Amino acid sequence: MAIQKDRVRFNVGGKIFETTATTLAIAGRESYFAAMFDENWDLQTNPAGEYFIDRNPDCFSILLDLLRTGELYIPPNVPEKLLYREALFYGLTDHIRSAKWGQFDGNRLHPLKSVTGRAPGDGTAIRASPDGGCCVAHGSMVHIYDWMLEEHPPINLDYQRVNDAGWVGSGDPTGLVISTCERLGRGQGGMGLFNSTTGELRYKFNVTHENVVKSYTAGALCFNDGCNLFSSCKGRSNEYGIGVWDQNTGQQVDFFYEPHGWSLGDADKLQWLNGSNCLLVATLFPRKDNCYISLLDFRSKSMVWSWSDMWSPANSDDRRVRDAIAMEENSSICVVNEFEDLGFMDLRRESGSVRWSSRSRLMKGKMPDEPCYPKLALHEGQLFSSMNDCISVFCGSDWVLTSRLRRSFGGSICDFSIGGDRLFALHSEENVFDIWETPPPSIV
Amino acid sequence: MSSQKKRNFQIEAFKHRVVVDPKYAEKTWKILEHAIHEIYHRNASGLSFEELYRNAYNMVLHKFGEKLYSGLVSTMTFHLKEIAASVEASQGPLFLEELNRKWTEQNKALQMIRDILMYMDRTFIPSTHKTPVHELGLNLWRDNIVHSTNIQTRLIDTLLEIVQRERNGEVVDRGLMRNVVKMLIDLGPSVYQQDFEKPFLDVSSIFYRGESQQFIECFDCGEYLKKAEKRLIEETERVSHYLDAQSEVKITNVVEKEMIESQMTRLVHMENSGLVSMIVDDKYDDLGRIYNLFRRVPNGLSVIRDVITGHIRETGKQLVTDPERVKDPVEFVQGLLHEKAKHDKIVILAFHSDKTFQNALNSSFEYFINLNPRSPEFISLFVDDKLRKGLKGVSEEEVETVLDKVMMLFRYLQEKDVFEKYYKQHLAKRLLSGRSVSEDAERSLILKLKTECGYQFTSKLEGMFTDMKTSQDTMRGFYEAMGRTLANGPMLSVHILTTGSWPTQSTTTCNLPSEILTVCDKFKTYYLGTHNGRRLTWQTNMGSADIKATFSGGQKHELNVSTYQMCVLMLFNNADRLGYKEIEQAVEIPTVELKRCLQSLACAKGKNVLRKEPMSKDVSEDDSFFFNESFSSKLYKVKIGTVVAQKESEPEKQETRQRVEEDRKPQIEAAIVRIMKARRVLDHNNIVAEVTKQLQSRFLANPVVIKKRIESLIEREFLERDREDRKLYRYLA
Repeated sequence: MAIQKDRVRFNVGGKIFETTATTLAIAGRESYFAAMFDENWDLQTNPAGEYFIDRNPDCFSILLDLLRTGELYIPPNVPEKLLYREALFYGLTDHIRSAKWGQFDGNRLHPLKSVTGRAPGDGTAIRASPDGGCCVAHGSMVHIYDWMLEEHPPINLDYQRVNDAGWVGSGDPTGLVISTCERLGRGQGGMGLFNSTTGELRYKFNVTHENVVKSYTAGALCFNDGCNLFSSCKGRSNEYGIGVWDQNTGQQVDFFYEPHGWSLGDADKLQWLNGSNCLLVATLFPRKDNCYISLLDFRSKSMVWSWSDMWSPANSDDRRVRDAIAMEENSSICVVNEFEDLGFMDLRRESGSVRWSSRSRLMKGKMPDEPCYPKLALHEGQLFSSMNDCISVFCGSDWVLTSRLRRSFGGSICDFSIGGDRLFALHSEENVFDIWETPPPSIV
Repeated sequence: MSSQKKRNFQIEAFKHRVVVDPKYAEKTWKILEHAIHEIYHRNASGLSFEELYRNAYNMVLHKFGEKLYSGLVSTMTFHLKEIAASVEASQGPLFLEELNRKWTEQNKALQMIRDILMYMDRTFIPSTHKTPVHELGLNLWRDNIVHSTNIQTRLIDTLLEIVQRERNGEVVDRGLMRNVVKMLIDLGPSVYQQDFEKPFLDVSSIFYRGESQQFIECFDCGEYLKKAEKRLIEETERVSHYLDAQSEVKITNVVEKEMIESQMTRLVHMENSGLVSMIVDDKYDDLGRIYNLFRRVPNGLSVIRDVITGHIRETGKQLVTDPERVKDPVEFVQGLLHEKAKHDKIVILAFHSDKTFQNALNSSFEYFINLNPRSPEFISLFVDDKLRKGLKGVSEEEVETVLDKVMMLFRYLQEKDVFEKYYKQHLAKRLLSGRSVSEDAERSLILKLKTECGYQFTSKLEGMFTDMKTSQDTMRGFYEAMGRTLANGPMLSVHILTTGSWPTQSTTTCNLPSEILTVCDKFKTYYLGTHNGRRLTWQTNMGSADIKATFSGGQKHELNVSTYQMCVLMLFNNADRLGYKEIEQAVEIPTVELKRCLQSLACAKGKNVLRKEPMSKDVSEDDSFFFNESFSSKLYKVKIGTVVAQKESEPEKQETRQRVEEDRKPQIEAAIVRIMKARRVLDHNNIVAEVTKQLQSRFLANPVVIKKRIESLIEREFLERDREDRKLYRYLA
């Protein structure tokens, strides 16, 4: 029988492997194998007809199996970290990642791990990075974890309280923007862009008013596809409003001043709406006595939609809006109150009222000692709402409750974030965060 | 080992700081540097990929990434300088080829270097925000080769020269051009734009400026445009062969600007070949070309449009004021239709039925048709002619096309009410004399007028048709009621015309012959008996009669004459000779009418049933008339027309005009009152503007007349002037 033409023999760290060029081709052009077998290289085998690679044979065997089957099986005797390092050498980390967890689906989430931090006090925010890592803001520290949940050196903001953090995006995987409180008398605060691997500050985002740089407190953050960065700002000289910067240059490009009798500079939540080119700005109870939700159009410098509960009847006390999220496909805004009732508002109608959904209030009457206010998130048509120690998943046009995520450990969830096909939930008590991911689809 | 040494031990920290061989980095880099040299010398077969990759990996791993990166930059720079020297040294036409060859080699070398340094690309470069290896290689190539002082200008000049050679008709190596241009594109859009595109566009601009000046002197408009079109196609092809697709718009813009825009006016007005002569000679191809080319430049189409509008207005003006044409209304209208058809065809064939051109055409026609105040009359006469005879034996569709064409002309008329006046008159004549070819056609046209101008416009015309119909019924009823009592008398046919619907003329009575009078009285009694509260007036001036006459030799003829003529002829039953005065006394027909009627009876050749003395063309008060016994005709039935101009005579015209003006007054007043009722207070200019707008569909109101009507309304206390501002009017409820 003729020898198969594309058979390849490797000697990896003394162990012989045989495979085919076809299998190796699955690794892609950005891998060691593609470079090695490029026709430019007049590749020579050793006298035994093998290609030698000076690497760990156990890991090679796992990775070769990954290329052959698309599935990742890590035997108990191989530490994951070792495998990841080897994958990085061969350029196979993306293969590992996609074999480890699949496309995000709120109804198929499994807990991967709980990570315990060391920072004292309550966490402020957790933000998923596009590649599956995350950062956790605690007081004046931001802890950074990569996709392997390996902790990087934390970023210390020099005793300035962190309000929010956000990843610049896939174009710059290491770019992390952090917004902080202003420290009175020191002219510091505001926002900076940091390198998440080295922790160094690349530049600060300044607010200028009549060509004078002002110190300010930066609140909620938001990014859009057009490389703009938005943040709610409270400046020293009444620069209250929403600032806009260019992510790439750090230059301020716009500032939307807060109109009288409205709140923008204190906003808890910003959300960019791609379809309508508008920014959702929500200031919520208890930061202010009333809730203010508005859509800003920066091209016309106008507030194109607004809602506030200061116009509502006084008896709506039990219906305080605690978080809001715009759902462009339904042209509506979803809000949630402290009992985790969902409410909806029509974006096509100016100052409509909230239509509360008739979902039963499971939470009423058994509030935990330290309640956490509900938070909302939207991902690919699935709505997520966190309440106390559990996260609910709603689907379909009527937003039916389809799944609940709960871990018994850590107390109430104070923040959660979805990104890189993972869900991160930060608990308030034990300084713990959970990672949930969707298993890859089964091969068979 | 001696025990002495053993005792002399040192206490050391438990953990030693790991010290890598200080020469490790240098050694490893030497290996990699050597490999890069070999790769550039195309001598890579002895290299071990695994070893190189591992070494690069280790350098990054042991924090020597910076050294690796800076080493790469300097080594690559070194080789690129060598390449630059060899490219510079190449002679003449070999220059581009050498550059292209080196570029291909560089690409291959860069790929291999990148393969080795893949790990650095993946880890060290993103975290330090450095330029990735591939991009770095391109940047270094750009800075050391393309932007080197000895190559940059030479490269641009060579490329531009090749383009110029191709423009002059030479065959060039397009493949080589494509590769070199592709290199510039690969180096980044700014390199292509700065180093090639911009100078390319500048040079092209100069070239085409010169060429357009040369061409405009040598060629006529049509030829020039063909050349320009060819150049445009050539440039587009060039882009598709070896330039960046985004250059297409830019280079065609240059050609358009230099070859078309700058010569636009001169081309259009070129003697004997410009736009006007193209139109006159119906050169659809040339016109289509000029349209397609001018469309590409700003204002190009408006230049064409202006010239065409001017031309149509000028020729149209000549057409409507030409005294020869004005003589025959049918010819006049036919001329207009012909002109319209010609230009319509041009717009459709050459201008892609461009809406703006259609509008320009319409406004030009509207302009010149209204230059001649008689246009409404002529158009009505044209219809009259068509409906009397022109449409005989013609299919229904053809009738429709003719009518549609008429409607098209009608739309251009500003004084639609004048048309209505004439149309009513002509229609009345057609109906009363029973000369209309087809009732369907008549009704169809009225329907068209109705859709165009609304119910109001045609209600009277429709009333006329209704009258005709009821008259028939009435006559049938009359004869049935009378039975045999009328058997021997003359047959009477009466059209009962509703006052107001028909063009009324001052009731001119005449003395009817007694035979007729009896029947008429009977009819009157019958009609008033069946219809209460009505009044009948005889419109003798509009009637006609068939009478039988016997001439010498017993020759019998049936004469078709007007009622007036009948009255005169009946007198000759009892006398052979009558003087003018006698006739006038007997019939009491108004002088003008009587003269006209006698003229047609006595002076028309072949129709002269009367003789006049003295023989002359005109009828005077001293003339005497005889029964012409010797009258003969080949035909049994003889129609004796009235000498009446088909067109209106000058005084008639004045009269019609006056009537139109008179009719407009209440309409203008109604419009003023309507507007004032809604607005309460309005100043003079605004009233005039609104009234004009409201009445636009019927006629163009004269501001002076509007002013007079306002004054009249003030007198009648419908309006008042504001006490403070005399320009303001107030509505008085």
